[in-house]
Amino acid sequence: MTDSHLLAELALLATNLGLALRPAGLEELVRSITDVARRTFAAQASSIAILDEGADELVFYVASGGSDEVVGRRIPVGHGIAGWVVSSGQALAITEVSRDPRFAHEVAESFGYVPKAILAMPLETDRRLLGVIEVLDPTEDAAVHADMELLGVFARQAALAIQSVQSFDHIGQTLFAIIAEAAKQGDLGKALESIAGETSPSGEIAELASMFNELSHYGPEETQLATEILRSVLTHTRRARRLR
Amino acid sequence: MRPAWSSIFDDSHLPRYEVADLGPITKEWAWGGSTGSGVRVAVIDSGVEADHSAIGGVKHAVAIEPDPVAPGQVIITEGAHEDLFGHGTACAGIIRQVAPDVELYSIRVLGERLAGQGVALMAGLRWAIDNGIQVVNLSLGTSRRDFFGMLHELADRAFFKSMALVCAASNLPEPSFPAEYASVFSVAAHDRHDPLSFDYNPTPPVEFGAPGINVEVPWRGGSRLVVTGNSFAAPHITGLIARILQNHPLLLPFQLKSVLVALAENAKRR
Repeated sequence: MTDSHLLAELALLATNLGLALRPAGLEELVRSITDVARRTFAAQASSIAILDEGADELVFYVASGGSDEVVGRRIPVGHGIAGWVVSSGQALAITEVSRDPRFAHEVAESFGYVPKAILAMPLETDRRLLGVIEVLDPTEDAAVHADMELLGVFARQAALAIQSVQSFDHIGQTLFAIIAEAAKQGDLGKALESIAGETSPSGEIAELASMFNELSHYGPEETQLATEILRSVLTHTRRARRLR
Repeated sequence: MRPAWSSIFDDSHLPRYEVADLGPITKEWAWGGSTGSGVRVAVIDSGVEADHSAIGGVKHAVAIEPDPVAPGQVIITEGAHEDLFGHGTACAGIIRQVAPDVELYSIRVLGERLAGQGVALMAGLRWAIDNGIQVVNLSLGTSRRDFFGMLHELADRAFFKSMALVCAASNLPEPSFPAEYASVFSVAAHDRHDPLSFDYNPTPPVEFGAPGINVEVPWRGGSRLVVTGNSFAAPHITGLIARILQNHPLLLPFQLKSVLVALAENAKRR
């Protein structure tokens, strides 16, 4: 197999692998955490927005209650309640939103309507701040007596699930990074070996790619066999996902 | 032969200093008749809306942003700025409520970019230490261990320069810096509403409790909100320290703590 063939195979692997290998139900888990948070606080709506660090924006990922239209909406991190929470890393509860029209407009821009009360908490793992979970219009009783710590537990669960989603999504990027590194060093095998030796979650995938590279040195038949096996796994995985 | 540091204690060099008169510590002695006049107080936050009716102007404003082309460096812009979120205005409004005549400084360290904010926060603390600020309100913090050492060093520098650094505890049960250091005044919320009513926690790291649950505060754009968070407890203690310093400008940070511990609502006098 030529290097260009190998690169083409790796590119295919990079685009499909993360999606195929991602354990089922992670998005469903994030959605259900948002639902449980809304019910626990007897709230009108709840949502999770994820940080797009490159763009300094928050992207609404899931919403429970209220309008689904908010999903996919982007807001800059430089203003607003959610912006404050991710900028400062601090939770904030607004128990009475201002009647001031400018403030109301700013809030409506983010949520599609003006809630009376907002409870917002950063989504954090030990390593990174990933976004924000917001609960809108909890009942007065829940807002007064509920513990911020309780929303913190939901925030932690959601952050861990989102971290898993993102780790799988980054597998493809990792592979492209290997290829780019190899192109620079002129030694694909060595680059793959070095990345495969890392202990990061993507290390296993790099190891897979490294084995693939090693196979290519044995000859075209072995490479073809490995590719077919992988293709079968991908086909099976895609079909299994469609059936669910 | 003299060991290091001992020369300062040589009789001919030993500095003489003025000591605060710690008379019987009462609320009247501590902050009676004081409005915080002339005391330099900084809010390190998202900026302060100077023309909000609850603020009535700031003495000076400085915005500190991460340099987009030189990682680890900051750009410092002196002069009027807006509050990007509203949180800094809320903290400043509480300080004004407790100590209306303080000289208010806004040090803005939160901006439109997230990368490099930790560096901006530390530069903000350095600016406050180097510019003779007496009390700093920091209703921000981080739980990331990589900032532990650098923030600790800055908190110690502030302490030795007699700058009272008042920090809000995290809203979650997690370590948060610099709020956990012994050299700062760490504050969490209690649910009473008298702005001068505060408690002391004899089992730190969080030392003081002040109003921070359903507190009405000024916010961005001339608005007002009712909010909850430890962020809003800290400025009550900041304002109170400013009032004590107007009456007793010689008090050092550890003496200020002694005064607060003696006057907390839950203190049992023998």
